[in-house]
Amino acid sequence: MSWRKRIYDWVDLRLGVQDLLEQNLTKYLLPRNINAWYTLGAVLITLFVLQFATGILLLIHYVPDQAEAFESVTRIMNDVPYGWLIRYLHVVGSNLIVIALLLHMFSVLFMKSYYRPREVTWLSGFILFNLALALCLTGYLLPWSQLSFWATTVATDAAGAIPVIGDAVVRFLRGGPMVGDVTLGRFFALHVMGLPLLLGLVVGLHLFCVRRAGISRPPFGPDYEPWEPRGSFRHQEHPDGIPFFPNYTAKDLGMICFFLAALLAVVIYAPWLFLPPDSLEPADPFVTPEHIKPEWYFLWAYQTLKIFPSKVLGLGVQGALMTFLALLPFLDRGPERRPAQRPLFVTCFVLGILIIVGISIWGHYS
Amino acid sequence: MENQPVSPSRRRFFLTWILGGLGVVLAAAAGWPVWRYLAPRKGAGEGEKVTVPRKQVPLGGAHFFTFRGHPAVVLQEKAGEFNALTAVCTHLGCIVKWQTDKGEFLCPCHGGRFSAEGKVLGGPPPKPLESYPVSVQADSIVIG
Amino acid sequence: MSLAKSFLFCLLILAAPAVLFAQDTVCIQCHGAQSGRLGEPVKLWRGSIHAANGISCHDCHGGDPTDFGNAMNPAKGFLGAPENDAIPDFCGRCHVGVKEDYLQSAHGQALGHGGPQCVTCHGNHRVVAASPDLINPRDCTRCHTYGRAEEIKSAVVATDSMISGLEKDLTRLHRLGIDTKELKGKIFSLRNEFHRLFHSVEVEKVRRQTAGFQKRLGKIRGSISTIEDRLARRKLLGGIAVALLVFGGALALLIYKSYREEE
Repeated sequence: MSWRKRIYDWVDLRLGVQDLLEQNLTKYLLPRNINAWYTLGAVLITLFVLQFATGILLLIHYVPDQAEAFESVTRIMNDVPYGWLIRYLHVVGSNLIVIALLLHMFSVLFMKSYYRPREVTWLSGFILFNLALALCLTGYLLPWSQLSFWATTVATDAAGAIPVIGDAVVRFLRGGPMVGDVTLGRFFALHVMGLPLLLGLVVGLHLFCVRRAGISRPPFGPDYEPWEPRGSFRHQEHPDGIPFFPNYTAKDLGMICFFLAALLAVVIYAPWLFLPPDSLEPADPFVTPEHIKPEWYFLWAYQTLKIFPSKVLGLGVQGALMTFLALLPFLDRGPERRPAQRPLFVTCFVLGILIIVGISIWGHYS
Repeated sequence: MENQPVSPSRRRFFLTWILGGLGVVLAAAAGWPVWRYLAPRKGAGEGEKVTVPRKQVPLGGAHFFTFRGHPAVVLQEKAGEFNALTAVCTHLGCIVKWQTDKGEFLCPCHGGRFSAEGKVLGGPPPKPLESYPVSVQADSIVIG
Repeated sequence: MSLAKSFLFCLLILAAPAVLFAQDTVCIQCHGAQSGRLGEPVKLWRGSIHAANGISCHDCHGGDPTDFGNAMNPAKGFLGAPENDAIPDFCGRCHVGVKEDYLQSAHGQALGHGGPQCVTCHGNHRVVAASPDLINPRDCTRCHTYGRAEEIKSAVVATDSMISGLEKDLTRLHRLGIDTKELKGKIFSLRNEFHRLFHSVEVEKVRRQTAGFQKRLGKIRGSISTIEDRLARRKLLGGIAVALLVFGGALALLIYKSYREEE
């Protein structure tokens, strides 16, 4: 018997890894008509791991102090070997994660994968979306550039619209009346430890829910049948399906490679895409640059606040939208999942995306 | 070119091996920047000479300074005669102290003793203290 | 305004290429609201390089920019508008080197007898970054033939376009995240030295020193080339890596396809 088999048998006798591997890899069957959208989960895991790795590497040289932060980032970009690569991967990677998250969410909405029994999966996913945006917001401040400083000022200002406690909330977020060293301290702690820990936990929950409930069948094709557990828990099976490993993991790997290629292409050929000129100047608390605006994924919120005459109303509208999204599985209860049979939903879906994209573009040019 | 089409499993075998090779190349391509990013580089101070103002080294006394990234010491035993040595004890790396009254170095960790020239006088150190070339100028001493 | 304060502001200009927006002083508040002759300077100044670098009315004219009552008080350093002959001293409080060379030049020697002063060529409120365009047939022939002016223009134009070219390249590199502070500083100081040189209006002097300037510019050009070579290498190797990733993705998908074919 080869030594490899001997080691494997030793571990298997004590931990039952053979059974685990089979249940989750080779004998874990996925629906036959599974499509490419289902690879986005694996893509997101890869991108998050990349963020984590590049983040740790950046931590070696970054200094979270108002007087030194910008300089430390300049050192990383110019003096540390391949520091530019690690930094750009981190910046472009964060934007690519938001894009992948949106695509992932859109496909779930379109295929109504949030339907019973996957409401908890949807809720944990929604929390993950918000955690990712919070990571983006806190990370943005750390380079302490003009863009960092003023975009954070604008973003935290928005909370001031909350009636009664608004100003107190802004002070709490910033650690003081204005963005300063105290803000950098708490944003750094959140970005580097607090939020990643939370993210890790919720990702664990999300993956557990996904695996526990089983993969949903895409609601397309002539032989689609609705499915839901009745009375007691049931894992959704696909007896005539394809094995996760090695079949679907090959597809996962392919899509991961394409996303990494896109990431690297932007890093090498258009690194300035997600770094406007204001991000290259050190923060000056006394001089606000013209046309300051948040990153593209917050433009819709920014512009919404601007168009509503009352800030409370603007904030309320956004809050209502997010709450609606979070509670969608409890509001849209019909068992029909095929998009062709959900004209109202699909119309709202398309209109919603168009409106948000439109408002974002408006926000960019205003 | 074969007449019959290649079976999927044969094709897959071939493709997997190419993908595997590509994976190794890409892993190396990813590992190289990370290695260079992490590996310590030659500091700016290494290989350079250090200048110490003459008046900082008292007669019969010692002046400690940094030389090529580690502590070093320059002594003035007799007027105008200067001696430069490493201050890192050759036993386990503690920094030696100069004892003006005895005219020798004492390592506080395990009692190793060195002469003003760096020779081991007693205790556990296995080797003498390395000395550095010194050139004396009008009002400064250049070591290295 | 004291010499120390003006010197400090000169240092600020040299050390802070970042855009500073001047807050509205009482000068701007009052004169900005007026029409005609008294309001004109504010409009002109807004388009100037002084405004773009945070140099405001009181920095040249003195007075207290925060207090309406003392804004034009000589006790607070208010100088008013300088007479023709006092203009070089007025501008020379910050532009010290230029004033020195100018006063020794043919132009400076003619001050008071119909010769030009700073404002003659540069304007007073709408002062823009100096360039060889200031030497042109229309402006120089106000006093003499264009021949000499044309000669000195051709002597400075080559070096000046080298400087502009390098500045453009540095701006482009800065946009890509390269730390150009040191090189920008070198070019800024070279540019000022070179523009100061012109004010002696001695063609031979300019020609003699051009070689030295171009050598120093050549060194900077060398540094920029090294950086650009590095960037080109990144693009090449990065491009290969991207291509390999795309290829890898395609291989993985082909493997997936081979599985699906077997079903």
